[in-house]
Amino acid sequence: MTAQRQAPLPDGWAYDASTVDAGVLNAELFSEIGKPLRRREDHRLVTGKGRFSDDFSIEGQLFAAMVRSPYAHARIGAIDKAEAEALPGVVAVLTGQDALDDGLTAINHSPVPSTRFDVRLTAPDGSPPFIGPHLLLPVDKARHVGEAVAIVVAESRAAALDAAEMVDVAWEELPHVIDSLDAIKEDAPTLWDEVPGNTFVDCEHGNPEATKAAFEEAATVVRAKLHINRVTAVTMEPRAALADYDAETGRSTLYAGSGGAVRQKRELSAVLGIPQDDLRVLSYDVGGNFGARNRVYVEFGLVLWASRRLQRPVKYTASRSEAFLTDYQGRDLHTEVALALDADGKFLAMTADNVSNVGARCVSLSPLSKGAGLITGSYHIPVAHLRTRAVFTNTMCTQAYRSSGRPEVTYAIERLVDLAAIETGIDPIELRRRNLLAPQDLPYRNAVGSLYDSGEYEANMDRAMALFEWDDVGRRRADAKARGKILGVGLANYVESSIGTPKERAEITVAPDGAVEVVIGTQPSGQGHETSFGQVVADMLQIPAADVTIVLGDTDRVSVGGGSHSGRSMRHAGTVMVMASADLLRVARDLAAERLDLAPDALDYADGTFTARGTNRSVTLADLSSEQNPLSVARTNEMHAPVFPNGTAICEVEIDPVTCQIAITRYASVDDVGRCINPLIVHGQSHGGIAQGVGQAMWEDCAIDPESGQPLAGSLMDYGLPRIDTMPFFDVEISEVLSPTNPLGIKAGGEGGTTPALATVTLAVLDALRPLGVTDIAMPITPQRIWQALDTAAATPKEKAPA
Amino acid sequence: MRQLAITVNGEVRTADVEDRTLLVEFLREGLGLTGTHVGCDTTQCGACTVIMDGQAVKSCTVLAVMAEGAEVRTIEGLADGDRLHPLQDAFSRHHALQCGFCTPGMIMASLDVIERHGADLDAQTVRHELEGNLCRCTGYHNIVKAVLDAAGRGSPR
Ligand code: FES
Ligand code: FES
Repeated sequence: MTAQRQAPLPDGWAYDASTVDAGVLNAELFSEIGKPLRRREDHRLVTGKGRFSDDFSIEGQLFAAMVRSPYAHARIGAIDKAEAEALPGVVAVLTGQDALDDGLTAINHSPVPSTRFDVRLTAPDGSPPFIGPHLLLPVDKARHVGEAVAIVVAESRAAALDAAEMVDVAWEELPHVIDSLDAIKEDAPTLWDEVPGNTFVDCEHGNPEATKAAFEEAATVVRAKLHINRVTAVTMEPRAALADYDAETGRSTLYAGSGGAVRQKRELSAVLGIPQDDLRVLSYDVGGNFGARNRVYVEFGLVLWASRRLQRPVKYTASRSEAFLTDYQGRDLHTEVALALDADGKFLAMTADNVSNVGARCVSLSPLSKGAGLITGSYHIPVAHLRTRAVFTNTMCTQAYRSSGRPEVTYAIERLVDLAAIETGIDPIELRRRNLLAPQDLPYRNAVGSLYDSGEYEANMDRAMALFEWDDVGRRRADAKARGKILGVGLANYVESSIGTPKERAEITVAPDGAVEVVIGTQPSGQGHETSFGQVVADMLQIPAADVTIVLGDTDRVSVGGGSHSGRSMRHAGTVMVMASADLLRVARDLAAERLDLAPDALDYADGTFTARGTNRSVTLADLSSEQNPLSVARTNEMHAPVFPNGTAICEVEIDPVTCQIAITRYASVDDVGRCINPLIVHGQSHGGIAQGVGQAMWEDCAIDPESGQPLAGSLMDYGLPRIDTMPFFDVEISEVLSPTNPLGIKAGGEGGTTPALATVTLAVLDALRPLGVTDIAMPITPQRIWQALDTAAATPKEKAPA
Repeated sequence: MRQLAITVNGEVRTADVEDRTLLVEFLREGLGLTGTHVGCDTTQCGACTVIMDGQAVKSCTVLAVMAEGAEVRTIEGLADGDRLHPLQDAFSRHHALQCGFCTPGMIMASLDVIERHGADLDAQTVRHELEGNLCRCTGYHNIVKAVLDAAGRGSPR
């Protein structure tokens, strides 16, 4: 495979107005799309009337607490429940064996990305990978600290917690392994007998021969070994679930915030072995997700199971400590990369060896797969050779975390480009210019097969530099120096892919009073779908946005829906809402024609009303609906083509060389999100995304003691989050280069803030410290790390300092 | 268990408490005032912030019995009927909330900050004073803008 400029579009990739009957959209008719409308969800949230999972309570409910493994790896012997069961208020203590006896099965996470455009990942022998079954409670052994091995149910939360401490498990401690590079060594402890070497995915992509040849001819080669450290989402709302069981109907109801209620219903009903219709999942206000809530949690299955066994409602709310131990975590990629350049600084080839630490079992390969497709970043690199491996370790499972897989590879390529600039002596911006893809190169197939849709990469960079006042950096540097500080700047270009579950469905109903209701299967956790989706439907039907209500998160209302992840929501929901709106207008036109006794094409439509051309006879959408016969349509759409949001971000830091404190003094970015429906919301996404990326670069780390296997970051006192006094104001702008793949031209706007931020912060720090001899620094870049780096550099004789 | 009376949002409210019951549990579970949230177990996040006798406190770190006889104000007591309090309105206008989980605590803490600083408030002071309230969604940019706006200090950018 070789990279290809102006690559032809595969079948079904470009949006074809004729196949979906929606026509070509006329942006001049948009009056709500593009407006920074204030959010409809705000009123309930600012008045304390939000409905988060733990806000629900049911008369007579019981409380659950988990018995968790204190060991990273241990065989589970006898479990003595007697003392716990004897405590007042304790109703039941249940173990993995009880679950097996009741016929419960493992959660089917389906971790292998499955759209036509995902990078294929297989076991070393080419077969589908073994993923490690995820039972609600294991029966053989615990494979990470914090893994639940029993559930205690009691009349009060306090009684449940007290009793959980009394459950006596006969543990047989086993040797453990924490880091994926240790786990692939010959003598590493094995987690699963089915996978003796712990490596359950091992594939190669790209063109090894051509890459090797290019490296042999190169004028310059730069290499780096990098670790993109493990972090966790820290949604401010800890996960919670309340299960209720109706013995009369045999139905269960689960109140549990997630990234998509439909998936929870499908996978949890399968675990319990009940028909899907016997489970209703409600997910109303969700206090942050960022990927962590997209997959099913064992506790959700456990409260459902317990409530069915005990015939009483059962509630579980994670403490923040439990969240740190057992929320699905993110990143944790080791990557070894190299870049070959010719004498003019043109990139010739790239290699990457990516090793993903999935934890104790595999719930998602999305990070490895997404990253694999984007190793060459925003640059034209003719050939590449990539090896991808996924490895089990005795740690909590990792999952897609905001911008799954892309910050990792963006960090790698941008660090390489920076190294290449130093090695060749070419200015880093100039080197980027020489290799960035030009608008006319797109559609572009990169060296590992990803097909970028559209974008103006160099324009992003120029615009971000102007926003950042790049020309003024020299003066600011001198100014900082006069104050005893060292200033550094770091710039990164990025491109990312948004794919996501391909199916989405919209049901649109017009009530006789003119109110429009849209049922859709995405699940916001702060992204404002109730507002922005309303803007789309309002413009499609030419009615005010205030007339549109969006219904989400109740599986009794929403039958199909992929949830919210991978920047899919506005693109998938927007597309299917456009189609359903077109359907609705077609149905309505026929009805109106009948009503007015005219041919359908004798009618004009505007502002919610059909008018007989040249007359004042008219009929509104509301007129066409009645209680018995509401005007209603449903449309399901499947869309596989990916889109490629892209942009540039620049960070400025000031470091105090005495205390090694580091402050972010400026941050600018330009994000090409395709069409922007609500800029107020999209800017908010950029801000939050930047903070999360900066957080990883500067403070966040799921530190684990390799000796004991114990997580060291168990509370907000030892896991560093971005705080209000450590964040700057941001200068963010939106670029709207439309995507050809969907009717609205949407890309995605939720993750672009995060994707380049790891690189921008690291490059800014290295820029500041390079004159002092520092050439490398690992994330998170804490004052201690800076102090160590300065110390090491000072102790290294100048002539021996690595280039 | 004993019965405890606390004035909440201007009304004397009673509920049964244990000695170990926290003020936030009294509010959420005893009174059903679920607008006050719990985001941590180490007094770090501020999601539980309420005003007690005129001072912002983290209600996860106050025993209910310590609040006996006190005047407590929660997010539910801020709006005047359907009319939002200027802070609530500013948070919405500036998009200072996304998921909204930190928002009640953020608003109650800001109320206290504005009360103490009034017209002297600037961005740096807002950032310094709200350091004990965590938000994972917004990057804080719009929160600072909203607080300054509500304090009558306009918008810094
Ligand atoms: S709940 Fe986190 S500070 Fe009170
Ligand atoms: S808005 Fe989600 S935590 Fe602040």
